[in-house]
Amino acid sequence: MTSAPPPPAVSPTEIPPIPALAAVVAVARFQLARLLTPPRLAMAALGVVFPTAILLAAMKASGRTLPFNYGAPLLYALVPETVCMLGLLVTMCPAVADELERGTWVHVAVRPGGRRSLLLGTYLAAVAWTGTVALSALFLALASGAIDGGWDVLWPFIGLIGLSCVGRAALFALPAVIIPKKALVAGVGVALIVEYLAGFIPAVVNQLTVALRLRTLLVRWMGWRHKLYSIPEMQLLIDTNPPWMQVAAVFLLAAVFLAVAIAILEWRQFPPSEES
Amino acid sequence: MIEVEHLVKHYRSGSGGAVRAVDDVSFDVRSGEMVGLLGANGAGKTTTLRMLATLLRPTSGTARVAGHDVVTDPVGARRSLGYVSATTGVPDRLSPREILRSFGELHGLSGAALDGRVEQLVDVLDLGPCADRPAGRLSSGQRQRVSVGRALVHDPPALVLDEPTSALDVLGARDLLDFLSGLRRGGRAILLSTHRLNEIEGRCDRFVAIHGGRVIAAGTREEFVGAAGSLEEAFFAAVGGAKAE
Repeated sequence: MTSAPPPPAVSPTEIPPIPALAAVVAVARFQLARLLTPPRLAMAALGVVFPTAILLAAMKASGRTLPFNYGAPLLYALVPETVCMLGLLVTMCPAVADELERGTWVHVAVRPGGRRSLLLGTYLAAVAWTGTVALSALFLALASGAIDGGWDVLWPFIGLIGLSCVGRAALFALPAVIIPKKALVAGVGVALIVEYLAGFIPAVVNQLTVALRLRTLLVRWMGWRHKLYSIPEMQLLIDTNPPWMQVAAVFLLAAVFLAVAIAILEWRQFPPSEES
Repeated sequence: MIEVEHLVKHYRSGSGGAVRAVDDVSFDVRSGEMVGLLGANGAGKTTTLRMLATLLRPTSGTARVAGHDVVTDPVGARRSLGYVSATTGVPDRLSPREILRSFGELHGLSGAALDGRVEQLVDVLDLGPCADRPAGRLSSGQRQRVSVGRALVHDPPALVLDEPTSALDVLGARDLLDFLSGLRRGGRAILLSTHRLNEIEGRCDRFVAIHGGRVIAAGTREEFVGAAGSLEEAFFAAVGGAKAE
């Protein structure tokens, strides 16, 4: 290390203020670079492979390729639900705790974008990472040929994966900022109680879940709505509004969840003693 | 460049009461000056520095960096400040060059300006031989140099360092402090907290000692040491006096 001061290449007054979106993208790039570790890549590989393994096992058990009406719902449960949910749990829930534990919180939060960029950038990285894993899992599952006419689900499922990531990553931002050190456990609780319990209660509460919107879109985009008419109870499990409203509802929920999470994170204080 | 006036920070304790971590602290650091913030563990040094870095909100009082109030203009304060902590928080998987690039991008640097700045920091921080090695394989001294580079990537006029030498051996600490002296000569305002008083005795222009969240002594070395003979003795005397009160 030389004792001479580094001549300034740029002075702070010459660096234009970083636009909010650029700050978010910069954090997302940084987080994605940090996600490229062998354990994370191994988990991602597992996420890509396991839906296909389940489908092939089911195919082997039945002795034939899976009928579309059985295979498509199973694939939905495996990819837009399970892979996305697990991927987002491990990438979004530790958004704050990881920074505190690694001692990186102070170094990222003191940048011009501050806490807001940190949360939104981590959100963007979680959506990109999990979305990539889920799309890879979808393509591999369809390429395996385990489902009769499986490729018919391609476009609807791409949309469902995107919406699942956008909505649920925002949902998991809440435990990440409210109880950072137990966010993963709380995230599992949120997934089970909010998404899978409240999401199936035919009342106002399920209107606030991403699960209801995805389920409704699955039924509408796959053309299964008329089949459900024969089962009156099933009508209670989906929403009657058109698909565009379901998509808008997911984005609205995500925006509300993120706004609340940002407000909480801006307000929260992390004394030095909370870092470990 | 750094102004702290009647700064107060209260935390809520586990029992519901208030803990006065920082209690009416005032001092300033001018351009081209290095000020040592002295205190034992738990004295309130880190809390004070974190308020300056906009990481904690003051309960009352004001703090400004390059004229930017940390509460009303936190972005301006962050743009003018470099922050270094004892825990380097350097991502193990990334190389020094990647880390410097990432943090330059967080300040809006890009293209040739970013490339030039990163190479310049790699050069002056003597990171060349390890610039592309994963940070997890660097020594403590090298990691701290990366941390300093990360704080300097946007060339801030003010630098705040929280016990930057605590994880370094004596040679690494001397190297770092020499480097900081160079930065001071270049016109930067440097606020440095430590409880290793012998390391900074001959380097800082002024000292501020805090104990129990309050300033118990402040001044130039001559003013601070007085008849005590050494910075350490003067500090012990000041703490002893504060405890007696």
